[in-house]
Amino acid sequence: MNALSVENLCVKINNRHLIENITFNVEEGRIVALIGPNGAGKTTLIKAVLGLIPYSPGTVSFFGQPFRNVNSHFKVGYVPQRLEFDRTFPLTVSELIGFTVPPVYSFSFFKRDKKHINELLEIVGAQDLMDRSIGGLSGGELQRVMIAKAIVNEPKILFLDEPASGVDIEGQERFYDLVKRLNKEKGLTVILISHDLNIVYRFADNVLCINRRLICSGSPANTLTDDVIKNVYGEMMGAYIHSCHEHD
Amino acid sequence: MNTISEFLAYPFIQRAFVASLIVGVLCPFVGNFVVLRRMSFFSDAISHSAFAGIAVGALLGIDLSVSSVVVAILISMLIAVLSEKTSLSHDTVIGIAFSGSIASGMLVMGMLKGYRADIFTYLFGDILAITNTDLLLLFVIGVLCISALLFFSKPFLQITFNRDLAQVEGINVRLFEYLLFFIIAIVVTVSLKIIGIILVTSLLVVPAAAAKNLALSMRRLFALSCIFGLVSGITGLMLSVYLNTPSGPTIVLVSVGIFFLTMLKRERWN
Repeated sequence: MNALSVENLCVKINNRHLIENITFNVEEGRIVALIGPNGAGKTTLIKAVLGLIPYSPGTVSFFGQPFRNVNSHFKVGYVPQRLEFDRTFPLTVSELIGFTVPPVYSFSFFKRDKKHINELLEIVGAQDLMDRSIGGLSGGELQRVMIAKAIVNEPKILFLDEPASGVDIEGQERFYDLVKRLNKEKGLTVILISHDLNIVYRFADNVLCINRRLICSGSPANTLTDDVIKNVYGEMMGAYIHSCHEHD
Repeated sequence: MNTISEFLAYPFIQRAFVASLIVGVLCPFVGNFVVLRRMSFFSDAISHSAFAGIAVGALLGIDLSVSSVVVAILISMLIAVLSEKTSLSHDTVIGIAFSGSIASGMLVMGMLKGYRADIFTYLFGDILAITNTDLLLLFVIGVLCISALLFFSKPFLQITFNRDLAQVEGINVRLFEYLLFFIIAIVVTVSLKIIGIILVTSLLVVPAAAAKNLALSMRRLFALSCIFGLVSGITGLMLSVYLNTPSGPTIVLVSVGIFFLTMLKRERWN
């Protein structure tokens, strides 16, 4: 079954096309990487799919149902690119995750379900961050917390917009290992934007190359050829296949 | 010199004391959202739009509290709609609403005949002139607004933290933003008689900003802001009675003093 179907999606702002006529499907339980140069419209595509910016024409459906008509927003998790927030915002990790823990409407915000929140933080290996202020977290720690927040309501599909940007190499490895584990253990469909083709080769089942339009799609090994990479990123780029593969 | 208990024997001081307790909790509680969302200019615009409402009320001969609330709510909704539907920045829309309200208020005031002392009560506030009806209204609105903010605290705080995340999680961002604007407009206008149009934003912003200097969690922010609001309200009222100074400015100056103390503490941490 397709977890996500996008048909003829166009996003136009001030008479300028940011996305033109993009059509693709994502099978349930797959990890799909969106790649493309800066300004190619990757974040715009994810935001349009999530209903954060308007699109016209086009249709988006999750698990066969139009997104806007489904009362299942909680089936979708989202970790935005470089979360912008006031670093002096007085908020602990448990409070941030607590925003998403049901019930959404109650007088009990200040009484948090710490056991549930601790379980979520354990999944992402961040249980020691429970009472830390979010302003004091490193990039890698914050991304783990954001993943924990994104999976609170057991989403079927997770969108990650350059989730490991600004995170050191060790942090990136831990992060993508976690994403892979969630994908395997919980059958989570993952759609991620990445500029790191090495990560894409190692972790993604499928690749969508985008430069305002869909340039190509398929498995990383078959799709990310030297010609395609030069076509997408320019003549200065080429493919270098690392020896270690997760999919072997 | 009279003791506090002697002062508290006077009914108008008792009413002022209770009013300072209520606004001491209500304004900072709502003010936390104003500070976290950087909306102090918005609350300033709302308090000044109430000035236009008061002038119109005086001209038409209707209750000034009612006319100020109605105009403040209308202006807050206008700001929300224009910010959403036009390409103008939120800041610009607020600036236009602010200037337009003040100008309209002054224009209408010019049409009034004779001296209207009641209008100046709203302009500068007079906690000692609070009636039992004012107190009851303040209490009911305070309970309703704090209950709404508590019940919807998760969506309100989620939107304050990050709008996109809130929307993806299924929160009706537009509805809650309008509701927050509505609550701020109501709280600002019911506090006018106590603290005055000119200073009401201070009581919303200053205790909350002082609490933000010390708080590392949302729980502490709300608790500290209410404590600072209460201390400012009661200490300011007592000082104003002892020193025979206007109550509103004295309350605000106490809260500003608390803010600087917390700022020093924060700087020492840093």
